[in-house]
Amino acid sequence: MRLSRRGLLRAGLAGSAATALGGLASGCAVPTGSTGRNMVLWYWDGGLGDTVVKNARARYDSSVDLQAIKIGGYYRSKLITTMAGRAHVPDIAGLKGEDMASYLPNADQFVDLRTLGADKYKSRYLPWKWEQGIADDGRMVGFPIDCGPVAHFYQYAVFRKAGLPYEPADVSKELDTWEKFFAAGERLRRRIPGTSLLTDVNSVFENVVQQGSERYVDKDRHFIGDQEHVRNAWALAVEAKQRKIVSNLVNGTPDQLSAVEDGKLPSQLGASWATSDLKNGVPKTKGRWRVADMPVRPSNNGGSFLSVTKACREPERAFEIISWMLDAGNQAQGFVDAGLFPSTPASYDLKQVREPDEFFGGQVTMDIFGPAAQKIVVAYNSPFDIALGQPVKDEIKNVGVLGKDPEQAWSDAMSKCRRIAKHLGVSY
Amino acid sequence: MATLPALEKRPAVVADVPVTRPRQGFRKYWHLYAAISPFYLLFLCFGLIPVGFSLYLSFHRWDGLGSMEWAGLSQYRYLLSDSEFWSSIGTTIVIWALATFPMIFLAMVTAVMLNSAVRFKNLYRVAYFLPNVTSVVAIAIIFGSVFSTNFGLVNAFLQAIGFDQIAWLNTPWGIKIAIATLMTWQWTGYNAIIFLAGLQTVPSELYEAARMDGAGPVQTFFRITLPMMRPVLLFVLVVSTVTGLQSFSEPQVLLQNTSNDSTFSGGPGHAGRTMVLYFFQQTFDNNDFGYGAAVAWGIFLVVVLFSIINWRLVQRRGEE
Repeated sequence: MRLSRRGLLRAGLAGSAATALGGLASGCAVPTGSTGRNMVLWYWDGGLGDTVVKNARARYDSSVDLQAIKIGGYYRSKLITTMAGRAHVPDIAGLKGEDMASYLPNADQFVDLRTLGADKYKSRYLPWKWEQGIADDGRMVGFPIDCGPVAHFYQYAVFRKAGLPYEPADVSKELDTWEKFFAAGERLRRRIPGTSLLTDVNSVFENVVQQGSERYVDKDRHFIGDQEHVRNAWALAVEAKQRKIVSNLVNGTPDQLSAVEDGKLPSQLGASWATSDLKNGVPKTKGRWRVADMPVRPSNNGGSFLSVTKACREPERAFEIISWMLDAGNQAQGFVDAGLFPSTPASYDLKQVREPDEFFGGQVTMDIFGPAAQKIVVAYNSPFDIALGQPVKDEIKNVGVLGKDPEQAWSDAMSKCRRIAKHLGVSY
Repeated sequence: MATLPALEKRPAVVADVPVTRPRQGFRKYWHLYAAISPFYLLFLCFGLIPVGFSLYLSFHRWDGLGSMEWAGLSQYRYLLSDSEFWSSIGTTIVIWALATFPMIFLAMVTAVMLNSAVRFKNLYRVAYFLPNVTSVVAIAIIFGSVFSTNFGLVNAFLQAIGFDQIAWLNTPWGIKIAIATLMTWQWTGYNAIIFLAGLQTVPSELYEAARMDGAGPVQTFFRITLPMMRPVLLFVLVVSTVTGLQSFSEPQVLLQNTSNDSTFSGGPGHAGRTMVLYFFQQTFDNNDFGYGAAVAWGIFLVVVLFSIINWRLVQRRGEE
């Protein structure tokens, strides 16, 4: 048969049209979850230890083909899009701690881990962390990966020069209230002009709120962001500004990093994972840092979960995999691989996590973070906390950065909250 | 359906002539339809259906995962009373104005210079076009450094000529100017190329005649070049209105550090929170997909309004 050019074009067009139509047709029959032996696991870069994932693949190779996929970009929106589309939903999904409150009202999208025997593992995990994975109706959605106990990072030599306590034990003991912490900030600024204890007021505000057991909206869908616990955090943040212990720099900018490097910002209240931010952001400060307890009591910042989705065909197998990946031994490995702070207290005594850290002058940072993780209080996180906490955080930032009148800022924040609460159906 | 029995009665005559001819036409031209179909299929999947769905969504309450709840017009009612949305419109327009007018001026100057340049013409054109094809994210990161307080190029320059430092990304006007500068830098070259194309369509006889009549270069520019360039100018204005009103990546990347936990809050005092940024915050930070959709339609109406204003301007010019 002779092929004319026109015939060839026609065949090509027909072929591509058929492919397009075929694609549409098969689109009607996309599998909800995975197929074959596949067990698909979604997480993000640094969400699980690489060694742990590799070992899990090898270990369960005889029964399933564990496909651990790192999802880049805005993780949560990709996950909920996939779940709402009911197509190619992963069997096991990582859930970020800060998004947890928004997943919990939709606990029916996940397998209740209690039905798979999760309760027998409960005693091995931090109780407050375990509670965060449980929905209001008692269904257990998330199995704890890591947590983020907050501690006080400071530069040893600068504190010493300013006449402040400088050994970690002394810093923990002597700067154990906000009052003493602020007084230390004033002293620091007097002794070494141009130095500020903290970068911004938000670090005070957020940490004080996170130390407590209440946030912005309670279980009964009532706004509590106008109550004592938030007012107190607000007042302390305003005080930090008035006593001039915060800089006018912006976190994460070149200006701030260079101030940290020059010892002009010798102190930070940061979660355990902030160690890697310091190591990457200001590598030249190696050896200058120490870690101590933060004032009052530790708070938590970050930490995530693994869940089994409704689309999973073999929930028992999936649960077997995640409970193995997140046991005390593997959590210690996750800490070594990716700095994921274990939610299993048994890990804190393991040798791998107790290596002296040269970045912190040979200090064993686990001595601070381990006990801190166990002192964090259980808090209720509402799905409306993000929407109703934002106006307050925005306004305290305006006080800190733009010098807005605190009274005015507070009343602006409250009137915004009132409006948003009404819109979201939260009682005020 | 009602006409079917009638057709069955006299099939021989009716069916043959008018019914089969379009069929033949389709059979004859199907490959043309097939050739243009990818666009329509893609548009249907990724354009029309999502647009329709967002309209549907805006009448509901939805957290993105659970069941949707009918909300009637309440999302739109809230939108009208939402002062944050109105202020985001204001922010967008201010940034747009700060970016567009200097941009048009600079683009015009650049185009006139390119038009009279003799050597390396193409090299200049490529160089001026490059910013437009550079990733906005990359540009925003660079501009973040350029506008940083202690080490930024802008402040270094200000200090060199005896001014004080300005905390650009920490003050409301500083933020707006930084975003506008970024947009100006990105779009000047692109629009200069368009102006250049416009300049080259102006007949040279007009310039010759003007020179004969003794017009200087300034007079020539204002009396001949500018009036002849009006359609091009309006095209540039329309395009930059549509893109400028939808600015998102510029403030998002430039200000993500200053926004403590939401990367969409637009910096201190929400000084850089444009309409689309606000839409993102409502939708993806607050999980308020229904309201997010309503905000998106609000943005749509604002853009339509501006497009109508532009269109009226074009029409009136055309009548003159």
